Amino acid sequence: MRNYPLGRALARGAVVSALAVSMLNTSVHAQSVDLSKWSPEYVRSIAGTEEYDTAKECGAVTPLDYKGKLTFWYQGVFEGDPDLLRQYYKEFFEAFRATYPNIDLQEQALTYNDLLDKFRTALLGNAGPMVVRLQILGGVEFASKGYLQELSPEDVGWKSEDFWPGAMKSVMWEGKAYGIPTNNETMALIWNADIFERAGLDPETPPATWDDVVAYSKQIHDKLGVSGYGLVARKNAGNTPYRFMPQLWAYGGGVFDEADPSPTYGEVRLDSDASKAALQASYDMYVRDQSVPVSALTNQQADNQPLFLAGQLGMMISHPSDYNVMLDLQAKATGSDKEKAQTVIDNMRYGLIPTGPDGKRAVVFGGSNIHILNPEYVEGGEVDEAAAKAMVCFWTSPEWSLKMAYAGSNPGNLNGFKTKWMKERLETIKFLDVTTSMLPYGIPFPTLPETPEIMNIIIPDMLQNVLTGAMTVDEAAADAAQKVRDITEGGGL
Amino acid sequence: MTILEGPAGAPRKPVIRQPGLLSQMWTARADYLYVLPAIVVMLIVIAYPVYYTIDLSFFKTPPGLQLRDKIFVGTENYTAILSSEVFWKVTLNTVIWTVASTLIAFVLGYASALALHRDFAGRAVLRAILIIPWVISAVAASYIWKWMYHSDFGIIGAVMVQLGLVDRQPNFIDNVHTVLPSLIVVNIWREFPFAMIMIMAGLQTVPEQLLRAARVDGASAWQRFWHVTFPYLSGVSTVTILLLAVANFNSFIVPWITTSGGPSNASHIWITHIYELAFGRQRWGVAAAYSVLLFIIVMSLGYFYVRALSSNERKEDSP
Repeated sequence: MRNYPLGRALARGAVVSALAVSMLNTSVHAQSVDLSKWSPEYVRSIAGTEEYDTAKECGAVTPLDYKGKLTFWYQGVFEGDPDLLRQYYKEFFEAFRATYPNIDLQEQALTYNDLLDKFRTALLGNAGPMVVRLQILGGVEFASKGYLQELSPEDVGWKSEDFWPGAMKSVMWEGKAYGIPTNNETMALIWNADIFERAGLDPETPPATWDDVVAYSKQIHDKLGVSGYGLVARKNAGNTPYRFMPQLWAYGGGVFDEADPSPTYGEVRLDSDASKAALQASYDMYVRDQSVPVSALTNQQADNQPLFLAGQLGMMISHPSDYNVMLDLQAKATGSDKEKAQTVIDNMRYGLIPTGPDGKRAVVFGGSNIHILNPEYVEGGEVDEAAAKAMVCFWTSPEWSLKMAYAGSNPGNLNGFKTKWMKERLETIKFLDVTTSMLPYGIPFPTLPETPEIMNIIIPDMLQNVLTGAMTVDEAAADAAQKVRDITEGGGL
Repeated sequence: MTILEGPAGAPRKPVIRQPGLLSQMWTARADYLYVLPAIVVMLIVIAYPVYYTIDLSFFKTPPGLQLRDKIFVGTENYTAILSSEVFWKVTLNTVIWTVASTLIAFVLGYASALALHRDFAGRAVLRAILIIPWVISAVAASYIWKWMYHSDFGIIGAVMVQLGLVDRQPNFIDNVHTVLPSLIVVNIWREFPFAMIMIMAGLQTVPEQLLRAARVDGASAWQRFWHVTFPYLSGVSTVTILLLAVANFNSFIVPWITTSGGPSNASHIWITHIYELAFGRQRWGVAAAYSVLLFIIVMSLGYFYVRALSSNERKEDSP
């Protein structure tokens, strides 16, 4: 029995293809930011050109003297985030309480890896919060089950055109919107120029292809005895798919056809030759060359950061915020460690994520979305709609969608790029240009209810099976492909 | 009570007619009333979840559907589990984990208790130190061990390299062959103080005069232990082993925090696998079927536990 009739799959495919095309398209209607001109220069040219009054804008949605109650869960900051972001989260809730002093806000921060499990459990007991901010791959799962209310930017005073078209598609289920993007992100390759130089590589030139990453990683390890590339293969951790999927797509592979211009999700491609080539590259680094951290199977990116700062890691994939994380960590170091850390920071470089053998470059189009729940799944059985919309409006405003994504991401509301804080951000956050330049290469995760399981469990399992030698590349790819087929057909353990 | 006459007028032994169950309950109705609140609470917090889990185990719960839209599949979940390769791998892990953790923790705890039973300077301090692993938060302990085991810069590996025991940092938890033994070490470290405390309590019940009499009779230390102490501790030993076994069957924190069941399912035990199936993969029906199987096993252990307790009580009551 298939869960997804062909008609539905094609319809969804058409929607998603529109997303992929529109993300890169040059003719997005009525968009206040012209994505067709997207470049670091264009981003600089629009920064600081508009002013927004968040209280006034949101006051038109929910009166500022409104008295109510709101429960709110969100994916908050964690150990791998910079202190700067912590400060903005603190200021956000202070500002919300100052703007809406009569709304009794009960917020709860959860880490990326805990949020989905806890939210699912709460929903089973009809004990969810009124509003939730979820990772981008989570929304469809809950919308498809009927947990979420229909919600579009127009409901809180914004225009759909003012959000990344790709991001808007991630909140769509069967043609209706069930949330609003808060932030969107693409990552970049980070390398240590000093390590490159000492290993005999050009310190200012990143690896052009993933094959180069494999070769550079080996050269670094062989010459210096440190890890070349910061492979991450932990299970149940978002960091793993965010780093492996760009590699998989670059080689021409995919879980389905999500990297194609018109994906339909009808064909599983994890066992294709291209997907196996990507898996082989990871095998070569971990098993054959032993040029990556042995702890990759239990590591998250937060574990790579101190390795990088200690000069024990040559390359990794991450956000622009990692530069600030390094500054935070360096500030906590003492004695000679402080100097060593400073040397690493001075030699930190950002570049585009490498391409596959055919020149294909890809990165996960990530981020988060904010949603309002249906009352029957909320603790107490009621949703304070006005208070919920006040929160959604506040977070998705140009001001706060920019500030809350300050160091690590990009504003969900495109008007955030026009604010004075964007100008300030461009001047203070190093390497922001590089990661924003990756946005046109962004590929969204498949918009299927099964995507969280595929990305957080099946993909890491496939990697671990290969890297531990439990299976060959062919066996692991076939095993993972079969699991994906099973779950999309409603079966499998 | 009536006295019946036997053949030839010989008086028979008196036959005591036992009152029926309902009659007994009626007689003891006040007692039942006293325990009624507890029984009601137990029905709500134990019996209903058990019933619900058993019921759920006969349904399929696809990720795209709400739980209330579950599909009845009969015993399909049980068949799927029992024919799954992963199930048998996880079951083997669970057996190794439980048996090794239980027995080694018990032996270590037993030995520690015997050592600490003797009077020596610093005994109280040592006793307090040895209890630390048991009282420390399991979550904190798991994170500490995870860092100590770290395959690239863990302190245990670094010390081994410094001492010249190995050439390079050993791979404790990123290797399918070493991960389970490494986690068992953590579990034993956490649990042996419990066994130690139980045995120390048991040692208080060994009659000193018996030990003294054995010494007067020329029994060696080993003979005194084997013929006096050990038999006296058999009851508490059985209970301790059963409690440890049940706790180990239900272990979650150490393997989940340290490795999440990886790499490649090598450290998945039943509870972590059930958790992943339910909360990570939303296979509520399959997870429920797994839970029912685990419930049967743990209840069997519980039966032996109760029997052991009853046996102890009978021994204590006997003249």
